[in-house]
Amino acid sequence: MTFTNVRKIALEFVISRSLLLGVMLGWQAVALAELQSLDDGQLSKVDGAGIGLVLDSFTFSHGTDKPDQSGEQARVFRISGIKSTDGQEVDITVNHLYIAGADSNYGQNLSPVNLGRLMNPWSIDVLNGDDIGIPNKAVLELAASTKVPMAEGFDCMGGSAAAGSGTCSSRPATADWRGERADIGMQMNVAVGADRSSNLNFHARSAVIDGSYIRLWGDGERKQMAGEFRFNLYSPEFSINACSLDGVTCGSRITMSDFALELAIGNRYQPIFFDVDGSGNFILEVDTIAAPPTGHIAASGKRDGSNAATWDFYNDYYSNPEYRSNLHIGNFSVGAKDFGPARMEGMLIQHLKIQTKDLAL
Amino acid sequence: MSQRLLSLRNRLSFAFALSFLSLIAAAEMAPLEDDVLSDVSGQGGIYLSGDVSINALGGPVENSYFGSCDDVTRKCGARIAYRLKETGGWLVLDELRGGFAFEGLTLGMRTIDTGFGGDGALFNGDVLELGLPNIVRFDDVRFKIAASSTPRPTDLGFQQTDIFTVEMQGDVIMEGNLLVFPTGNP
Repeated sequence: MTFTNVRKIALEFVISRSLLLGVMLGWQAVALAELQSLDDGQLSKVDGAGIGLVLDSFTFSHGTDKPDQSGEQARVFRISGIKSTDGQEVDITVNHLYIAGADSNYGQNLSPVNLGRLMNPWSIDVLNGDDIGIPNKAVLELAASTKVPMAEGFDCMGGSAAAGSGTCSSRPATADWRGERADIGMQMNVAVGADRSSNLNFHARSAVIDGSYIRLWGDGERKQMAGEFRFNLYSPEFSINACSLDGVTCGSRITMSDFALELAIGNRYQPIFFDVDGSGNFILEVDTIAAPPTGHIAASGKRDGSNAATWDFYNDYYSNPEYRSNLHIGNFSVGAKDFGPARMEGMLIQHLKIQTKDLAL
Repeated sequence: MSQRLLSLRNRLSFAFALSFLSLIAAAEMAPLEDDVLSDVSGQGGIYLSGDVSINALGGPVENSYFGSCDDVTRKCGARIAYRLKETGGWLVLDELRGGFAFEGLTLGMRTIDTGFGGDGALFNGDVLELGLPNIVRFDDVRFKIAASSTPRPTDLGFQQTDIFTVEMQGDVIMEGNLLVFPTGNP
């Protein structure tokens, strides 16, 4: 092989390689053009997305059937293992538990309902604790649809299906739309020992739980799971009645119209703590409020002359409506007798401890 | 020598032809803009029928506490214990057993741009849709919520308080669709 030949072969090799490389580079340039870099400003606007959940056209129903001639039951739903204070077995047979659309006639006619709205769904999210007053914590939140400003919302009691009538996001049923408010009910037979006489039924018509949430995080000092629980229930009619075992004859219905329960257990200063003690008993505790760093409060009780941080702390604790529980009943009636409205407002749980106790011991 | 030159020419023309082909190919593969891509929707979905049994006859562990479901002196369900405080006791989901059967659980993507009482047009996006199976058959499903001093019943100093037991049997009506989608502004 001559020197010229070697050069030509080398040249040939270089040409074909550079062609290949060029084609490859060309492809890469196309791929790179699709990926755009974000600057810090754009990145800071990216919010960690939670998961939105909407139940569309939803119906749930389960219960216990009457035993057939051979004593067999096709469907059973029973809660047992609880003991009464005198040591008798308590057995709750759930005859019917339902979640269905409005106008179900106490669970007789089940129709579908939506739970959560696409624009304001139920959600599972991890929140930045700094934004909700739980500093330096990541907080897991399970929440129903949030409340909305009066101008956009709907009357929580279902008095009006027009926007701007209230603060609930979920809409009542109309002729065109099934709405996001469910009829919820539970019919049960509570047996204490051999006594199966009490049948208790609860029904909430067109119920809304907007603004409810449970937040969970870990408390570093106590090395324990802590939480904040808010449960709102609005219903134009919440009723309780008792029937005979076969459900044919029922006593007077206790009806609470325009029922609004806003229950707040635990807050940023006093979370709920969950625990099990050494002997195997469950404990739910809302601890007494942790005192803020010592600061002077003026004799007048006003912010002027007081330590601002201490004054603000107590002012928030005692005046923030978020920490308070309310119960409003528009009209309380038993059978045909009306007892008028009832209200309990501004309840603040300052200390709570619930502990299970094993009566079998 | 001339043969080698010929060979070089052939190869060069082959390489050019190849590069030309790849250029044609590149022209065929047009990049999609983000808004065009966002209109691309995956078709189809998954249809599932299932039958799940958990410890229906008894679990694999046999000791002084766990055993066969036929043995009344033994517990036969699964047990999950979790602790809520570093030095605290354990909350237990105990004696979990039974079977669930369902037919027609569907999983797919759905584009929503209408309906939902006017929300659909505002939402105008894709969701993951889990179609509930209408009927879920529960076959002797039981579980117990309890609080225990130790995670395992065979541990020293085991003490447990059963809080309540739930038992479910028969057809449960569960109709509708669960729609899952990201919230926030990713």
